[in-house]
Amino acid sequence: MADRSPVITGLGVISALGSGIDEIWPAIVAGQSGLKPLTLFQSPRYGQIPVGEITRDLSELGAPLHGSRSDKLAWLAARDAILSANLDTQSVADRTGVLLGSSVGGTHDTERFLTALIKHGKVLARPTRFHECSSPVDLVAESFGLFGPSFAISTACSSGALAIATAAELIQSGQADVMLAGGTDSLSHTTWAGFHSLLLVDMQGGCRPFDVARGGMSFGEGAAVLIIEAEAHALKRGAKILARLTGWGASCDAHHVTAPHPEGAGALAAMQSALRRAQLTPTDIAYVNAHGTGTRDNDMAEGKALKSLFGAHVPPFSSTKRFFGHTLAASGAIEAIVCIEALRRQQLPANPGFSEVDPAIGLSPVTKMRPEKLTHVMSNSFGFGGNNAALIFSTPETVPQTRPTPSIPAIVTGLGIIAPEKNSVSERAIQPPLPPDSIKVRACAPLDAAALTPNQRRRLSRITQMAILAARRSHAPDATKRLAVVLGTGFGCIDEGAVFIENLIAKDEAEPMPTRFPGSVHNAPAGQVAIDLGAHGLNSAPTMGEISFESALWQAMNQIAIGETDEALAGGIDELNKYILAIGKRWGFWNEQTIPGEAAVFANLACASTNKSPLARVTAVRLGRCRRPFDAKREADWITNAVDLSKVNVMVSGAKGWSELDTHYYAVVEELSRRAGRALTHQTYKQDCGEFYSASAVGFSIAVELARQKQCAVLLYTLSLRGGKALCCIEP
Amino acid sequence: MPIATTELKTKIIESLNLQDIAPEQIEDDAPLFGAGLGLDSIDALELVVMLEKNYGIVIKDIEEGRPAFKSVRTLADFIDARRST
Repeated sequence: MADRSPVITGLGVISALGSGIDEIWPAIVAGQSGLKPLTLFQSPRYGQIPVGEITRDLSELGAPLHGSRSDKLAWLAARDAILSANLDTQSVADRTGVLLGSSVGGTHDTERFLTALIKHGKVLARPTRFHECSSPVDLVAESFGLFGPSFAISTACSSGALAIATAAELIQSGQADVMLAGGTDSLSHTTWAGFHSLLLVDMQGGCRPFDVARGGMSFGEGAAVLIIEAEAHALKRGAKILARLTGWGASCDAHHVTAPHPEGAGALAAMQSALRRAQLTPTDIAYVNAHGTGTRDNDMAEGKALKSLFGAHVPPFSSTKRFFGHTLAASGAIEAIVCIEALRRQQLPANPGFSEVDPAIGLSPVTKMRPEKLTHVMSNSFGFGGNNAALIFSTPETVPQTRPTPSIPAIVTGLGIIAPEKNSVSERAIQPPLPPDSIKVRACAPLDAAALTPNQRRRLSRITQMAILAARRSHAPDATKRLAVVLGTGFGCIDEGAVFIENLIAKDEAEPMPTRFPGSVHNAPAGQVAIDLGAHGLNSAPTMGEISFESALWQAMNQIAIGETDEALAGGIDELNKYILAIGKRWGFWNEQTIPGEAAVFANLACASTNKSPLARVTAVRLGRCRRPFDAKREADWITNAVDLSKVNVMVSGAKGWSELDTHYYAVVEELSRRAGRALTHQTYKQDCGEFYSASAVGFSIAVELARQKQCAVLLYTLSLRGGKALCCIEP
Repeated sequence: MPIATTELKTKIIESLNLQDIAPEQIEDDAPLFGAGLGLDSIDALELVVMLEKNYGIVIKDIEEGRPAFKSVRTLADFIDARRST
């Protein structure tokens, strides 16, 4: 549908090169770099090599006082984007969502907590309040009063681009009219030490993408937010269209945790997928903004992928990483803005840092900014786990090709569940460096490690092993079928991350941990599942507190609906961790009712035409945010808008977890029962699996079983403490 | 005194968490990477950390370590050469 074509109507960006595109573009024209010696934290081992640090006072720019550094950067970019789009957020609040990539989240602030704890034995937990990678989304949505579908994506360095691609899907599928989409990541000691441990950092004053003597990446921080709108919506409100988002695509190398596929196979697949979406051919692309980190392997693989796609006619391309530093999850969004501005000004940005062609790559990027006729441009972003995304932006005048968007229904063909046994409450000791304590938990039984390969056993953290085992249980391998993996998580690999940061702080950067760092990113489990099962389709790790699983389910369902995959694993995963236990106890979260838990659950989804026998059908998935105060009638309206209540007999909810949400759940069941004219059965699950962010994945598995047994539609309804909500309808 | 390959094998097993391997199962001249023990680029980085922690040898570019990581023997020779300079 042409009227749902995504168009860009506003931009906001903050970076070391400047804040706002009007400040950044002149610097790009002048060839200035934003890199300067690091001041944000001390690094005895690696020194003060130049980084793209934002040295301005964020509160002077207007940032809120509360929130992590990543939160504040996102807020500033979102504010500027809304202003530049001239968007009256109040009038579009229910149809506007927020989708941001973040991989650092509040890590920089959490490091302060861990430093005080490890160095001085003090428990000052306040900075950890904004630890989650979803915190920027909560802050932006809450602050600007937006109630549409909102979640975060944490797939390392492709997060920002994947968030933009996913926002476009939310608009095209009619879930939202307007999306604030982009990415945010602050500098942090953790990512700094992590990339250093992988020997991926250029130690000589700035990255040199595609140069023969390139020595690695340079760090950066920042945020960028685009206002993406359905075209009809933008036209109706008289918004100025800056550019069109015509193509987007994603893929997974399923090859290695850090190294890209040597031939750039995944990068090529992502670019091809974006072209397919845009109904364009390679010759239409007039410029590519490369991922171009300046590491030996990335630039080599990307160069090969460009040659595979474009043959002898690789269009002008450049990496703009030396301007900003590598801003990780923000980079895809910042570079999207560079592409949009290049289209608007009809100018090609240069690739600073390049001087001599690498004969092994055999390609020269744009070395000097120049005018060029640009109609369609492409932006690449690649991340750990071989996670690839490509976006295509086009001038407003182009007529988007209307590819018929299929709407293929999805069925559940398998479930893989690793969850605590019923009544399996045990006492867990809190380990150092936290003060000694113990707390009741619901933990999973020991894993069947024998089923894993020796390399999986010795190298992967427990949560990633849980993901692999659950995925295998849910999935009957079929090499003829394309497979996507989407795994929602609240805290990600928090154990692995904690070990890494504790070691970093306690040993003052001595004894780096190169295995643990890539194992600590949120998308590590999904990436390892892809390697284990050979899944080359979309690989994503959405995160959004209690609705992390439903965010994953939506993304997986959508990939099937649009025909980009034959099967998709949608899952939820979280693990017990001493910091979650101790800080949660300190803040009064845990009590007799609310006992911390953990699980890994995967549902294997397939398009309805599959020959696999269905367990159930998923007929609706909706995401949104609640208005305050909570209004059960409004919620019932939202639910009945998406679900035929006459078919529903059971509501599965997240009650019996956080006690303050219980009254909301009970009020909604009561209101729905009143409207249905009969009492709905209210089924809960947290009394068995415990409380954790992705627990609704366990609820989903129960809903599938109930739909089968009772031959009725089952509603899965989930609320989050920070305002998110989700519904899902499962039918026999 | 040249480093004993048995000692080095123990250190490798420890640093790479090779739970199922005993030192005597690693041959001095067998390739460590690729086939052999099935090690990869991340393991090479762990060996870099191991060399610094145990022998004070700092490698800043993985290319520098690559010839040394071929086998236990080449690694032992590399350590000996670095320690004698």
